[in-house]
Amino acid sequence: MKTKVIIVGLNHETAPIEVRERVAFENRSMTESLKRLVSLPSIEEGVILSTCNRVEVLAASAEEKTAVQDIKRFLLEQESGEDRDGLLSHLYTYSDQSAVRHLFRVAASLDSMVVGEPQILGQLKDYYFAAREAGTVGTVLHRLFHRSFSVAKKVRSETAIAKRPVSISSVAVDLAKRIFDNLEDKTVMVIGAGRMGNLVVRHLIQNGVRSLMITNRTFEHAVKLAEEFHASPIRFEDYHRYLKLADVIIGSTETPQFLLGTETITEVLRERKQKAMFFIDLGDRRNNFDPRINGIDNVYLYNIDHLKDVSKENLKGREGETIRAEEIVDEEVEGFLHWLESLEQVPTIVALKGKFEEIRQKELEKSLSTNLKGLSDMERQALEELTLSMINKILHDPIARLRTQHDSKSVYVEALKKFFNLDEK
Amino acid sequence: MDVILLQITSAIYFLATGSFIFHLVVAKDISSRLSLLLVFAGFLIHTAALGVYFFHTGYPAVTHLREALSFYSWLMVGVYLPVQYKYRLTVLGCFIAPLAFLMSLAAFTLGVGGGELPLTLKTYWLPLHVTLAFLGNAFFALAFAVSVMYLLHEYQLKNKKISVLNKHFPSLERLNRLNYVFLIWGFPLMTLGIITGSLWARVHWGEYWSWEPRQISSAITWILYGGLLHGRLTAGWRGKKAAFWTIVGFAVVLGYFLLGDSVFPGRHGGRFE
Repeated sequence: MKTKVIIVGLNHETAPIEVRERVAFENRSMTESLKRLVSLPSIEEGVILSTCNRVEVLAASAEEKTAVQDIKRFLLEQESGEDRDGLLSHLYTYSDQSAVRHLFRVAASLDSMVVGEPQILGQLKDYYFAAREAGTVGTVLHRLFHRSFSVAKKVRSETAIAKRPVSISSVAVDLAKRIFDNLEDKTVMVIGAGRMGNLVVRHLIQNGVRSLMITNRTFEHAVKLAEEFHASPIRFEDYHRYLKLADVIIGSTETPQFLLGTETITEVLRERKQKAMFFIDLGDRRNNFDPRINGIDNVYLYNIDHLKDVSKENLKGREGETIRAEEIVDEEVEGFLHWLESLEQVPTIVALKGKFEEIRQKELEKSLSTNLKGLSDMERQALEELTLSMINKILHDPIARLRTQHDSKSVYVEALKKFFNLDEK
Repeated sequence: MDVILLQITSAIYFLATGSFIFHLVVAKDISSRLSLLLVFAGFLIHTAALGVYFFHTGYPAVTHLREALSFYSWLMVGVYLPVQYKYRLTVLGCFIAPLAFLMSLAAFTLGVGGGELPLTLKTYWLPLHVTLAFLGNAFFALAFAVSVMYLLHEYQLKNKKISVLNKHFPSLERLNRLNYVFLIWGFPLMTLGIITGSLWARVHWGEYWSWEPRQISSAITWILYGGLLHGRLTAGWRGKKAAFWTIVGFAVVLGYFLLGDSVFPGRHGGRFE
């Protein structure tokens, strides 16, 4: 039977977060889970993906139907809740061509909640390496994952899909990079402890920000948050004094009055010799900073609506790019399936080569021990090379032809096996 | 021969301009390389054109407006190429290539050949003084270009309009720093240009300073750029303000370069009639 790639799983589109969380795999016990997976008789190779947006089991198997059933059962055992029938309705199954396409699309971030976001490729690599460590990856999945990494790279370099940030926090980081050359030597101040603010901070840190100050009306909150981000907590009464050090100021409080107005900012700017300041107002009331500060030279103010507008613009630009990306994926799927099919003929090729080699060895041995006994070492060596190269030349064309036969029932393959009596072995 | 070479140069700069604009939109590695290759080719042929001209006449081609334009654009591209190499600022080429194209175009449409060089100008002071002054101005041209980019970029960021145009612009901070780098190179070169000019004036006219129109205009731009640099270093002038004054300074330089001698005739050697 032919080996096929099979994927069973669920993602952000087919299942709500509660369901995804219930079947999620823990990284700690990943090796165990992987070993349990490949211990199923129908499964030859396996990799498990488990991110917050998707849980998927990828397998290589020659028995497609049994394998799908086995994997579903495997996932049901994973389900920590009671609603097993409910889980089944969230699962999708891909096999063969559609499975290869699915993985390539995931790697290229075409299947992500935020299309083009770059994290998924790194996660994919992590899960692939985990499976390789556990020894559950073989020829097929090894090749499949490496192809998927290069598809992702190709999509990234040939389309603009990843160039336009669309999440609020990546838009904020992108804007910061348009204002500042290098975020590594910049200081960020966070006022208030909102969730959105944390997301933006996390993104800024990923992009090189190292110096961070956090202030909050409740100092304990600031301290807690500061610990998490390795930042300096600052008392709310004092934060004005530190403003002159901050290049990016994120406001995520819900105040009825402006926290900072034009006068304060003008003064701060004078103290810092007019070095640019980027204010991000993440409050729902858009009330952290007086909108008029945007009119001051070297001050840039964006509130949540502005960030959303930029994000919408960028999303529009992406639509055309996804078409090109899907084309790249299609081309690569084709290429991978060809390779997979050529695997089919590997046993026949090995048998054919083995048979010829066996004949060669036997005949050489016979001749060298009888009528060619007196040959010198050099002559024996020459004879060895001569026979070897003859066999290689004779077999070259038939093997090349075999590799293009994608059906093991092909007449050519059958005939070849019969002529050379290969089946008995 | 030199005119044909100059025409080829101009044509290549034209192609480079198109290529740079294409690069601004698509921002592919290949478009960047193509543009730079074109500018470099243009520069080499331009060098050949100037070389042939020099061989013919035996003096550096700087005393007529068309000659000065050609020489100046050559220096400007010559300064841009190493800057590009160091700072990887392909977008800057979008300003330099069209400027070089227009100048070289003007250079050969303004007529062929030069008049006989007056005896008084046949001295080593000429290439020394002109090269220093023009080099300074070449840096000011680069400073001008980054300032225009700064203002465009700044306007769009302030007004929340992110467009194709500035998608690939360097950050404001970087543009601002480059403005400073170009000024800090341009200003001393310009100062040396003025010093050699007045030494030459002492030798030839007998006095260092005689309030010639060209001397006055140089003094004005020198004060402008000097004031700007001073403001940057001490008062934290930066960003929009610095960009604005850089543009004003360059407008004065360019304006006088093109029109000055016909509006305020003086006895300065480079009377571009």
